[in-house]
Formats: sequence, C-alpha cells, structure tokens
Amino acid sequence: MSHFHILAITDIAGGHLPHFMLGGYMLLLVWLCYLGYRKGKATEEDYYLAGRGQGAIVTSLTIMATFFSSAALLGIPGVVYRDGVSFFLFALNLPVAGAAVYLLGDRIRKLGKARGYVTPADLVGDYYGGTEVRLLAAATSALYVLPYVIMQIKAGGYLAQRLFPETPPLEFFGSSCTMYETGVWALSFLTMVYVLVGGMRSVAWTDVIQGILLIFGMLVAGLATIAYFGGLGGYFEAVSALPAKALSAPGYSDKWNAGMLFTICAFASLGSIIQPGQWMRFYAAKDSNTLRKSALVFSVVLPVCFIFGIMLVALGGQVLFPPEITAEGIIPHPSVGTKSSEVDQIVIVMIQRVVPEMLGITFGAVVVTMILIAVLAASMSTADSNLHALSAVLTRDVYDRFIRPQADERERTWVGRIVIVLATMAAVALVEWSQKAGAFNPLELISQLMLLAIAFSSQLLPIAIDVLFLNKGTRQGAIAGLTAGIGLVLLLTIKPEWSFGITKIVHVSAIGIAANAIVFGLVSRVTKKVPQKRIDEFRRIIKAKG
Amino acid sequence: MLETRLSKILASIFLFALIMGPGPGLYLVNPSTDNPSSTTFLGMPVLFAWASFWFFVQAGVVLVAYGRLWTNGNDLDE
Repeated sequence: MSHFHILAITDIAGGHLPHFMLGGYMLLLVWLCYLGYRKGKATEEDYYLAGRGQGAIVTSLTIMATFFSSAALLGIPGVVYRDGVSFFLFALNLPVAGAAVYLLGDRIRKLGKARGYVTPADLVGDYYGGTEVRLLAAATSALYVLPYVIMQIKAGGYLAQRLFPETPPLEFFGSSCTMYETGVWALSFLTMVYVLVGGMRSVAWTDVIQGILLIFGMLVAGLATIAYFGGLGGYFEAVSALPAKALSAPGYSDKWNAGMLFTICAFASLGSIIQPGQWMRFYAAKDSNTLRKSALVFSVVLPVCFIFGIMLVALGGQVLFPPEITAEGIIPHPSVGTKSSEVDQIVIVMIQRVVPEMLGITFGAVVVTMILIAVLAASMSTADSNLHALSAVLTRDVYDRFIRPQADERERTWVGRIVIVLATMAAVALVEWSQKAGAFNPLELISQLMLLAIAFSSQLLPIAIDVLFLNKGTRQGAIAGLTAGIGLVLLLTIKPEWSFGITKIVHVSAIGIAANAIVFGLVSRVTKKVPQKRIDEFRRIIKAKG
Repeated sequence: MLETRLSKILASIFLFALIMGPGPGLYLVNPSTDNPSSTTFLGMPVLFAWASFWFFVQAGVVLVAYGRLWTNGNDLDE
C-alpha cells in the first residue's frame, strides 16, 4: 500500500491536492519574505535581529519553530514507536528549556541591547577579552549549525519523495532529477531566498506560520488517534495491552535509562536553547516581558504538543503496526518500512489511517496534507534559523575580526548574504553526494553529527552561566574549559568505548559540560581575573529593569 | 538569583520534578516486565501517567514564577 493512499484516492483538485496546498504554502512564504524585505532597513542590526523589536507572539513562535526540527514529527515519534512509553519522559526537557528562555534569555537580551551584540561570540568574547574565546565560541556555533542545516535539507528530499511517490523524475536543462533531489533543491532554494532577502524579520514571520502549522499538526494527529480508538478509554485500553517492554524503561533498545533521560532533560535541553539561532532570538526580543511570555508559552504548549499529541500517535502506532523484534534490531511493521531507520515514518503512516476515520476522506485528505506540510515546515523553520545564524557568526566573528576589520556595515551584510548562498550550496552538495555514494550511509552519519552538534552547543553553557550569573571565571579558564569540553565530546563521539560505558548511562553533552566546568573552575582559580570594572558594568546592565 | 523564599521553593520543586520524573525517581514506578499488572495506573500506562504528572508540576512552577517572580524583568531576584 502506498503511504499516501488517502491522497491518491481523493478526487479533490483533480488528484492534485498536495500540489495545490504545497504551492499555496510556498507562495505564502514568498509573500512574507517580500513583506519582511519591504519593512527592513539596510543595517546589520535590522538584518540579523529585526531591529531588536520583536514582540511576544513572533518571539514565542519563532523560538518554538526553531526548536522544532524534522525530529519533532519524524525522529521523536519514531523513537516512541520503536521503544515505547519510556521516551515520553524525554518531553520533560521542554519546561527546562522553556524556563531558560527567560532566565538566561532575558539577561542575554539586556547585554546584547546595551552593548550591540549580534552573535553569542560577541557577548562571551567581549566579557573575557582577547580573540581566543571569541573564536572558540564561533567555532562551537558553526559546528552546531551546519549539520543541522544538512539534516533539515535531507528531510525535504525525504518528504518530497513520499508526497509524490508516483511522480517520475523531472527534467531540468537536460538532466534528470528524482523527487528526492527536487525536494532537496526546492527546500534549500526557497529557504535560502527568504533568509537572503528578508533576514531575521522574514525568518521570524515565516516561523510564525510554520510554528502554527506544527502545533496544529501535532495536536490534530493526537486527537485523531484517540478518536480512532473510540476515545481516551479505548486508546489507553489498547496501549495498556502492549508488551511490558514497551510500557517500561529502558524500552526495547535498552537506551532510555534514568541517567540518560535525566542528563538529556537537564543539560542537552539547555544546550539546545543556547544554540546560536536561539541566542540571536533573545537579542531580537523587544523587552523582558516578551521573553517572559515566550518562556511560559514554550514551557506549557510544547510539552502538551508532545505528550498529548504526537507521542500518543506514535504509541498508537505500536498497536496498529507492531514492530518486530529481531536479532538485527527493531524492524518496523511492513506498512511502515523495511529498515530499522524507517521507524520515523510512523506518523506519516498513522495519520493516513486515523485522520480519515475522524474527518472523512475529503476533509481528511486536506488535513493529512496540512500535517505533511507541517513536517516540511519543521525542517524549513530550523534550516532558515541556522543558515541565518551561520551567516552572522562567520561575518561578525571571522570576516569582520580577522579578514577585513575595516569593512563597513553594508559590506558585512552583503558578505553575510554570500555566506548564506555558499553554506546552502555546500549543504546541498553534501546531501547529493552522500545520497549517491553507495557504501556511505548518510543518514547514520548525519544523525551522529546531530548528536555531536547538540553536545557542541552545550559547551557554551558553563561560560554563559559564568557571564550571566557568577562572574568568577577568567579568560584562560574559559579557553581551557571550552577546549576540554569540545575535545572530550569529539573524542567520545569518535571512540565511545573510551568512556568505559559512561556514554550508555549519561548523555555525552553532560560529560562534556562536566569536564568543561571542572577545567574552567580550576584554571580560573589560578589565572588573572576579568577586570572588576567590566564585571560591574555587566552586572549593572543585567540588574536594569525592562 | 534565588534571593527570596518563594524563588528557593520553586527552584527546589522544579529540580525535584526533574529528579523524580525523568531521573532516578522513575524507578519507583517503572513496571517490572515480570509483573504485567504493574504497567498501568488508573487504566493508563504508568510511565505516561508519571510523565504527565511531573510535566504538570514543572508547568505549575513556571506558571507561579511567571505570575509572582518574573514580573519586572529581574528573573528570580524579587
């Protein structure tokens, strides 16, 4: 059976429903991009931070949409489908990240506004002084961003392949493009254009639409699943009959023990919320109240979407499409996929089963298409934010500091745009190359890169806490701590066996943060303090109201 | 940071929820694979009920902090 059976049998729009709805979505993004361009000013601050004037609704939704990646509707439900209910506890990382939106974000915003920062490295580099901390922070940011862009672009190809499974390869200038390649190019090109043209304002406005689509998709899919089983009673009766392994920790893959879940919730969550794209959103917020409201919305709405939405869909998937446990691992039901990595298709398969039951074929097809577009939106909203952040990091922290310090604001903004084009091209080329290289498994490599990216981003946490709260660290301590944290994360990613099994019970980001913090603290005790005048200035800015 | 009684109480509850929910506390309720009757609570999978409960605790802390502490741009200082 085609995964898109419902879309194939509906007669709406002559069988071209997905084409029309996808086209409408893309036109809407182009329109928002145009509006962002019309409203923008030709300044660096406006291009990267929308003039530091974003209100609560835009800030809430752009922070949420950036946090959601293709993992929200594909990867995370895939893990619930594979491992069972133990992975629901993963959602408890969201209130932690949400609280940090205010507790860390508002201090970052105040310092950014008072001292004209644009990137994370601007703040930590200015506080500790010298170029090394700035370069290490910039490297941390860049290492986080690129794998994330690649991941999202891949998801675009993956989705196009499944939205239009019967469509033959398209011919462009004499060369043939599969639907996968068409999806990769379409997502990359459209995202690149609206980031290029409208900067942060367009990115944030498109994130609003994408954020709304995501919330809609996750909640409607959850409601439809419960309705399919005849209400909450029927749903829980069905899932309670699953094998005990699916209803207990550490799940089928034996991965989700308390140590792993706790360290993800406590540390990786904070690493994700201080990634460069989010950090710049804190700078862009209008005032404290904006981040206060955003923190509340993030802490409450996002976990509801996961725990009472998309995760219920995936657990229901275990009932309707039970996976098979084999010696090779957990293989999804044949209707879901044939390889263990295809467990992430569970939502796509489930919505086509359950949504028409609740809404009928015609309206069901419209809603199914909207949920599929929400998957695309998840990818685009993360890709755009990360492309935009990478542009700022390479322009402000590298080009402006080390290549052409005399460059004016206009030149820097144009260099930023060139960076976006080059980064997009590089990401597409890597995705295309990996797809064609037979023995090379791009999905596994990118997944490893994604985990590595979060672990990298987390390494900014100890120095961020020091700058924002403690003011005890030194420049040498920050350099040593960052180097130790990044180095250990790299080492344990390449050679996990050198952790003596610790990486099986503690997330690697927490190990990196622990090493980073210990080295940072020890070196800071014996090296020269940050000038008291600078500490006082930072404290004064942070204590100020508004 | 954490200068008032309320801020200390809220931070403690939030940390406790983190330890009890996804942390070691989950082994208090984690069903045994040998005893299928322990997998449900009020008809729901027990770990689902556990995750939902600790989410409501975390969300409650954030709500109180939003209303009582984060009121003039100074996080937990007031």
